[in-house]
Amino acid sequence: MMFLQVVLTGVLVGSVYSLVAVGLTLVWGLMDIINFAHGDMMMISMYTVFWLYTLLKFDPFVSLPISAGITALLGIVIYKLVIKRVVNAPGLMALLATFGLSLFIRNFAQFLWTPNYRFVGESILSGKRILIADIVIGLPQLIAALGSILMTLLIALFIKRTKTGKAIQATAQSRDIAELMGVNTEKVYAVTFALSGICVGVAGTLLSGIFPVYPEAGAMYGLLAFVIVALGGFGNIWGAFYAGILIGLTEALGGFYLGTQFKYALAFLIYLLVLQFRPKGLFGW
Amino acid sequence: MRKLLVVFAVLLAFTVFAEEVIKIGAIFPLTGPAAATGVKIKYAVEVAQEIINGEHPEIELLLGKSAGLPNLNGAKIQFVFADHQANPELAMAEAERLIRNEGVVALIGCYHSSATKPASQVAEKYGIPFIAGSSSSAALTERGLQWFFRIAPHDGMETVFFFEYLKYLNQKYNANVKKVAVVYIDNEYGVHAAQMVKEKIKDYQADGFSIVADVKYPAGATNVDIEVQKIKGAKPDAIFHASYIGDMTMFVKKYKEFNVVPKVVLSYCGGYQDPQFVINLGKDADYFAGPNATTSALFKKMAILAKINEMYKAKSGVDIDGPTLEDFASAIVIAEAINLAGSTDPQKVLNVLKTGTFMAPYFVSGRIKFGPDGQNIYSASVMTQILDGIYEAVWPEQYQTKEPVPQFPDWNKR
Repeated sequence: MMFLQVVLTGVLVGSVYSLVAVGLTLVWGLMDIINFAHGDMMMISMYTVFWLYTLLKFDPFVSLPISAGITALLGIVIYKLVIKRVVNAPGLMALLATFGLSLFIRNFAQFLWTPNYRFVGESILSGKRILIADIVIGLPQLIAALGSILMTLLIALFIKRTKTGKAIQATAQSRDIAELMGVNTEKVYAVTFALSGICVGVAGTLLSGIFPVYPEAGAMYGLLAFVIVALGGFGNIWGAFYAGILIGLTEALGGFYLGTQFKYALAFLIYLLVLQFRPKGLFGW
Repeated sequence: MRKLLVVFAVLLAFTVFAEEVIKIGAIFPLTGPAAATGVKIKYAVEVAQEIINGEHPEIELLLGKSAGLPNLNGAKIQFVFADHQANPELAMAEAERLIRNEGVVALIGCYHSSATKPASQVAEKYGIPFIAGSSSSAALTERGLQWFFRIAPHDGMETVFFFEYLKYLNQKYNANVKKVAVVYIDNEYGVHAAQMVKEKIKDYQADGFSIVADVKYPAGATNVDIEVQKIKGAKPDAIFHASYIGDMTMFVKKYKEFNVVPKVVLSYCGGYQDPQFVINLGKDADYFAGPNATTSALFKKMAILAKINEMYKAKSGVDIDGPTLEDFASAIVIAEAINLAGSTDPQKVLNVLKTGTFMAPYFVSGRIKFGPDGQNIYSASVMTQILDGIYEAVWPEQYQTKEPVPQFPDWNKR
């Protein structure tokens, strides 16, 4: 029974990792831009939810479209102000630019809102849980996982089925040829950043009930997202999804049976092994 | 020639009358994961600076009445802040920079034991005093350093205090607390606290205490679900926590979700002592307990503490908490030591620190005196427990503001 509980925890935690990673795989995998500020965009979404809750008593679920909208907008702004200027420069430039951006966002958040750890105290889900035999499933965690899976599905469908999605794929394969075919690649980049923003916006909102809101809240999620994207194969949305679950499970099972201090070490170890033996990731092409 | 003489005279006047400013380095986590605490400590040190440099006859401290240090012609103290971002290497680099570039004559800091350790080694190398306010790892005063002093009780003293409190609960309330789980963050502070439990429990095995779970979790964890499941599986009567505010809050949320109901939860100096703990958790914070150098419930009993808190609250918006008060004390003590030495000569200041007794009416112990290893021998904390959202002093009985609740009620019966 304990084993089932641990596995379930791994899947639930992993699902949220997946959604954060899906957002990153869009810009990193497809556009080949490393966005170090990815986790910080999630933190902005968490603060949006927190302030809407504190000032206007909005339930996180009511805030969802607003926070996702804000991070989508933030994605576009980041693209227009920072990425656009470095997109043709060597890869290191974008890396340094987004690294600087990440530091700026974190410190600006600390300046504006103090570094205090805060929580969204009450939501319609808080404190609720489902009991099946001895297995406990926290409702906020369950909804966060289900929401993440749904969101991943929507993003995958968008990329596969819509015209804009196809334009994103085309730009990912060859920007020059896509432009020759009449694709407005500038717009495609902006849309991709917006989509990436929506992913972290939703993830941040879903997490705001269970994870503290503070300027560094996105740091570990951002770091894990990098591992997951590389593990799942660059630009592969479902790859990122499965890899997220895999990391969640590794963390849970490894943590429970080997010692909780090793949980991230194990996740990073898997990453190193995969890099050695399958550099394109588990599901890469 | 006359002009030159005038210039010379003016310059001379400046050197004679210019107020001397004595710089003291203050290294704290002002950004990064523990910035919330670091910024509060900075406010407290600024309050100390105000008390030392301004005239505050209402605050009956040695340096409260006069402006500046009376034995050094009213010289002012300036705390030069540096940020270590919870990173030991940065703490070390900042200590070096403060001493070499800023010319500080002493150092205080660093909250994190892991940062205090290398920073104080730099102070030792340069031969200037280092006073740690709230860093609680016992290892710090076991290194045989000459220039290092610590105000807070170390985790070894805290561990003994925990077991004595549990014995008190068992004797007075028949609480029957035997099985202990140790839950700690994977850094200097947490790991050392856990080591202390394993060491000190040997003295208490006759009283029936045993360790049933040892749960170490990584710093910056995204969740603590697995940790809580391990704790639940071990069914402890008491949980000893060495955690910071963010992780501690996540633990409490998960204890509730997984319905973990121990009898007692005691926290080492860290997250529990931060008033944000109650703000974040509301009534879920009730019944948690831990040692504290102070609590707002004591303000009524201690007038000076109340006045210091008033100044602090005007800056920070919250009441002063234990660790912050300990770092405040470090700022006051170093200034007093320089004043008593009548000089910034490190050796003279060191002699005062080693031999002097410092009045500390803001602590329940009332004074500070450093032992040969640099540890404050009067480190008296009170055991506090959150009852109806207030940190009440529950033990020792002479400081009691309320009686302890020896058994956590069920989560759904609160």
